Amino acid sequence: MKTSCPRLFEVEAMRDGRLTGAEVTRFHAHVGLCSTCAREVRAVEALAAALQAPERAGGLPADSDELSVRRRRTRLLAAFDATLLPAPRQAFARLTPILAATLGTLCILIGLAFAIMHRRSLATAIPAAASNAPDPVRVRADGPAQWSRQVDNQLEKIRLEAGTLAIRVDHARSAPRLLVLLPDGELEDIGTAFTVSVDAGRTSRVTVQEGKVVLHLGGKPALALSAGAIWTPDPAPALVSAITSAGPNPPLAPSAGSDATSTAPPRSKTAPGLRTAAAFPPPPSGSAEVTSGPDPAADFRAALAALSAGDQTRAAARFSAFLADHPRDPRAEDAAYLRVIALQRSGDALTTQAAARDYLRRYPHGFRRAEVTPLAE
Amino acid sequence: MSSPRARATLVKDAPRATDAQLMQELAAGQLGALGELYDRYQAPLHRFIARVTRDAHDVDDLLHATFLAAVKCAERYDGRSSCRPWLIGIAATLIRRRRKTFARFVTMLSAFGNAQQRVNDPRPALQARSDVERALAKLSEPKRLALLMAEVEGLSCAEISEALGVPIGTIWTRLHAARRELRQTLVLEPDGEASA
Repeated sequence: MKTSCPRLFEVEAMRDGRLTGAEVTRFHAHVGLCSTCAREVRAVEALAAALQAPERAGGLPADSDELSVRRRRTRLLAAFDATLLPAPRQAFARLTPILAATLGTLCILIGLAFAIMHRRSLATAIPAAASNAPDPVRVRADGPAQWSRQVDNQLEKIRLEAGTLAIRVDHARSAPRLLVLLPDGELEDIGTAFTVSVDAGRTSRVTVQEGKVVLHLGGKPALALSAGAIWTPDPAPALVSAITSAGPNPPLAPSAGSDATSTAPPRSKTAPGLRTAAAFPPPPSGSAEVTSGPDPAADFRAALAALSAGDQTRAAARFSAFLADHPRDPRAEDAAYLRVIALQRSGDALTTQAAARDYLRRYPHGFRRAEVTPLAE
Repeated sequence: MSSPRARATLVKDAPRATDAQLMQELAAGQLGALGELYDRYQAPLHRFIARVTRDAHDVDDLLHATFLAAVKCAERYDGRSSCRPWLIGIAATLIRRRRKTFARFVTMLSAFGNAQQRVNDPRPALQARSDVERALAKLSEPKRLALLMAEVEGLSCAEISEALGVPIGTIWTRLHAARRELRQTLVLEPDGEASA
């Protein structure tokens, strides 16, 4: 008796639809002859029948009752109804991400536009601010002057043809190197405030209020002028007067001059080759009377000589006369200041105060304003 | 003017709409069509889902989701006379999707906790009321699903393959393994009566 059949697998193959029409017909014929396959067919069919038994029984599921079914039905219909009613809301819900993305993009674009505009305004504001920033080099023409100004690669050139320029350089603001081109030479600034005058194509006067300058004149060695120095090119020895303090007897600064003709020994603060103002010949003694001539340089020199000689009264008078005769002279401010000093040394407080106030009135932004102001109060 | 009795007679004698007509009405958004389909197929669907999932909590939700999914794809109904296999296919798809989601959740829990400890399925299992149901419960859910779709719901292997999204060869393999395991558990009489 055969216990197995090689075509036994075809039982499930036929049930699962894996056999074609002819194969099914042949297998049916085989089942009629093969008891093993026939038994297998019955077993598979019995299994299917067992699985279908609850289905054939019909009715409600064992774990469900009529009430639960009605509840589930109601819930389903309500859910279906809800899917139909809120169509606009669903449409809005679909649009919500699009709206959000659009708004986000819009915000980003606005932000970018604002950033670009802000950057442009900064770019325009910075040059504007830079142009509004105070010029580190302040040039003031004292009276009619012919001059021009040119900046060339961190070198500022001021060409002075005629007249007087008062120049102040603020090196704390990264000022460029400054060179004053004169008809007969040049003046290089080394951080200072100074006044330079040109008359008739020649440098006539250099006064240094602060810092230091170097004067280069044609055919002459360079001359360094420190604060308080006054340089004049007279045939007479050049004068440099230093006034470093407003005290009762401020020392005179060293003077510069290559052709010194002084007969007096230089003071200890005087550099070699330089003369002090005290070495100049004193003016006619015993006279407070002042006579000023048409030569302002001579008048000023005479007044300065009186001051250096210790004749404060006469010096003050000469400086007053100088101011009256030559109010537009480049040395007028120095004369006004030195008059205050002379009067202070003379001990006349009231006159000193009046002279100081006169200085401040004439030169409200003068170079000696800081020193004169306490004397005017 | 007809009497209420006459109207009742007319309604009673009115021919029932076919499943294809109901699906067309459902696609048009008619609430009554959904109620009619529910009345016709909620019981076999409920039974099918319960036998496959063995989960009392999931049955109602899956049944609910099956009909709502049918509403959404009613326009694509192929027009066959009975939509029961079609609904079974939708339910099988949802069951398979739920099983994958749950498997991911269990995997995550296992990875989060002690990987050596097996995470037990916390869902309450339906009590098997017969030897066949107990043997059926021992099968894996994919095998159980394929067997019930083929032997109870009468779907072809091609239809099962399409509904579950697996190759047809896999369906044949699952059916063969499911029958073998069931027959090892049960001693079946030719008339379908089983004894353990």
